[in-house]
Amino acid sequence: MYSWEMLSFNIHDGFLEAIVRGNRSGLLTAADYNNLCQCETLDDIKMHLSATEYGPYLQNEPSPLHTTTIVEKCTLKLVDEYKHMLCQANEPLSTFLQYITYGHMIDNVVLIVTGTLHERDVNELLEKCHPLGMFDSIASLAVAQNMRELYRLVLVDTPLAPYFSECITSEDLDDMNIEIMRNTLYKAYLDDFYKFCAKLGGATAEIMCDLLSFEADRRAVNITINSIGTELTRDDRRKLYSNFGLLSPYGHEELAVCEDVDQVRGVMEKYPPYQSIFAKISYGESQMLDKAFYEEEVRRLCLSFEQQFHYAVFFSYMRLREQEIRNLMWISECVAQNQKNRVHDSVVFIF
Amino acid sequence: MAGRGNAASNNSALIAIIADEDTVTGFLLAGVGNVDLRKTTNYLLVDNKTTVKQIEDAFKEFTARDDIAIVLISQYIANMIRFLVDGYNKPIPAILEIPSKDHPYDPESDSVLSRVKHLFSADSSSERR
Amino acid sequence: MAGQGQRLTVVPTVTVMGMIKARLAAATRGHALLKKKSDALTVQFRAILKRIVAAKEAMGDAMRSASLSLAEALYVAGGPLRHVVQQSVSGPARLRVRAHHDNIAGVRLPRFEHFLVDDGARAPLLAGLAGGGQQVSASRAAHVRAVELLVELASLQTSFLTLDEAIKTTNRRVNALEHVVKPQLENTVAYIRGELDEQEREEFFRLKKIQAVKQRELERQVEAAKLYAVEKVAGEVALKRGVSVGAAASMLENGGGERDEDIIF
Repeated sequence: MYSWEMLSFNIHDGFLEAIVRGNRSGLLTAADYNNLCQCETLDDIKMHLSATEYGPYLQNEPSPLHTTTIVEKCTLKLVDEYKHMLCQANEPLSTFLQYITYGHMIDNVVLIVTGTLHERDVNELLEKCHPLGMFDSIASLAVAQNMRELYRLVLVDTPLAPYFSECITSEDLDDMNIEIMRNTLYKAYLDDFYKFCAKLGGATAEIMCDLLSFEADRRAVNITINSIGTELTRDDRRKLYSNFGLLSPYGHEELAVCEDVDQVRGVMEKYPPYQSIFAKISYGESQMLDKAFYEEEVRRLCLSFEQQFHYAVFFSYMRLREQEIRNLMWISECVAQNQKNRVHDSVVFIF
Repeated sequence: MAGRGNAASNNSALIAIIADEDTVTGFLLAGVGNVDLRKTTNYLLVDNKTTVKQIEDAFKEFTARDDIAIVLISQYIANMIRFLVDGYNKPIPAILEIPSKDHPYDPESDSVLSRVKHLFSADSSSERR
Repeated sequence: MAGQGQRLTVVPTVTVMGMIKARLAAATRGHALLKKKSDALTVQFRAILKRIVAAKEAMGDAMRSASLSLAEALYVAGGPLRHVVQQSVSGPARLRVRAHHDNIAGVRLPRFEHFLVDDGARAPLLAGLAGGGQQVSASRAAHVRAVELLVELASLQTSFLTLDEAIKTTNRRVNALEHVVKPQLENTVAYIRGELDEQEREEFFRLKKIQAVKQRELERQVEAAKLYAVEKVAGEVALKRGVSVGAAASMLENGGGERDEDIIF
């Protein structure tokens, strides 16, 4: 199965794979994190980061730094790397790379739509959008007043169009629907991404399907836990689960009827890969679950670098960078708020 | 405010906030946010683009509105308009200076607390700090 | 003393003195009451001072944990959470405050109390459905707790300002009563009493004088009566002897007597 890729992979994608692996070695290491955790002020963090790849992005920032500035600049670096890779990419890698950003695009669309509903200024909203999820016609989203119009006028030209066909039925947009819409879109996106990866075949399909299954299962668990005690009905909940993953379909049926966290745990412990995650958290507690999932995800993403000649490294790299930015945000929040004893609570070491 | 839809409860009042983005977000999450029919809000989000004039106007507006009982203001923002805050002496709405995450709380510059300290100094303030 | 030597301009009579004395008694009672009120307020004020200092410190902690919990929520749910939250604000606030009035020694102290408006129409925020919902609700709870503390602090602070004002007013009144009104009334009473004494003394002197005059008159009449009796006896003696020259002499004396009367009175 792997043999033929080796012959042709490098013709188109060898250069980029080299780049992404090079970039990967620029990720912060445990030693870097240890240094960062020792910082006393945000300026110290900036000083430490100036020795890393983030240096050029932060060096011109004036001294009263804010956490948001650090996160913004670090994201900017990620965006630059992504754009660089996208420029160099051939089909089907370029499509693959674009798929990675659709998640942000969904967030942006939802952001603009809700903002428009509350009559915010469009330019202000655009500033808040995630730079990875921008597309050309995003500003015109603001004209739409209901889903049908939104779809007909704007989204039909974007790659998100197929995903919207599912939730186009809901005519009125309110806060509840928006959140459901976001998750419906995300589900459709994951399904589509999954299909696309399966179509690519080879090592890419194998690794990516594994990673996406994990992602889908994690979303399923999160949606279940977070919808406990809300107005979300079981059917609605069931509709938000993706159509693939380890839990599909039998696990989903069980999750859909869960009423508390321990029931969720009961369901999840039937699946060996998730046993270890749930073993880490004590009964009745769900706060640490997110961290456990993040750690597991990072572990899996790192493993994808062990194989060659596949696209999953790009996905992994982007995800790891995002995790790294989250880590930086957490560290700088802790430093800024003078809560250094909490620093280690949420930092997920990548290497 | 005449145009307000004050149907929820007749003798209830609002909490107004003037703070940085994260603090405002947090309090909005708690549900203090209020948007009336004229789209006027009871909070002001201060970022580095916000001018002192805007803060002043918001402060004056909030303290003049009769449906606001408490005005929360980040201390570092209060420092920008210190003359207004110190000059304010009505009991209602009450002005509260709150710490923000990047700016640790400085009890010395709090206009009320400094008066408290002044009156309290005979008792025990020296060993308290 | 400011009120020394001052007095009200009144007519110094017993009635007025009764009125002034009544006013003085009222002022004394008022002074005692106000003094008690001021003491009660001061006790309350001290207690509030202590609580304000404690609450300010608690507020610092609450705000720290609240903002950290928000950071946690942002960590898991990602940056868009901010905008979701900001845009989910529409319509009236769910968390409001209500003002009560406590009555401490006649001073109305506003006390705020927060409460959640459960209109039921609006569903709880579903933000962070696909991750971070736990943290979001934890952060919400932390902020509600912070609001709770802040509301308490606001009531304390308002009470502080109101009490401060009330104590100042009360003390001013106490001082005014003590140093202006009461001395003034006391001076007036003293003045009236002095005037009345003076009048009494004058009256006494006059009485004495009149009595002396009356005494003298009495003596003179007694004298006259005696004289008359003597003359009458002489007249009778003369009558028995027949009219003598004595009658002409007595007529002469009578005329003299009339002249004498004019001199005396």
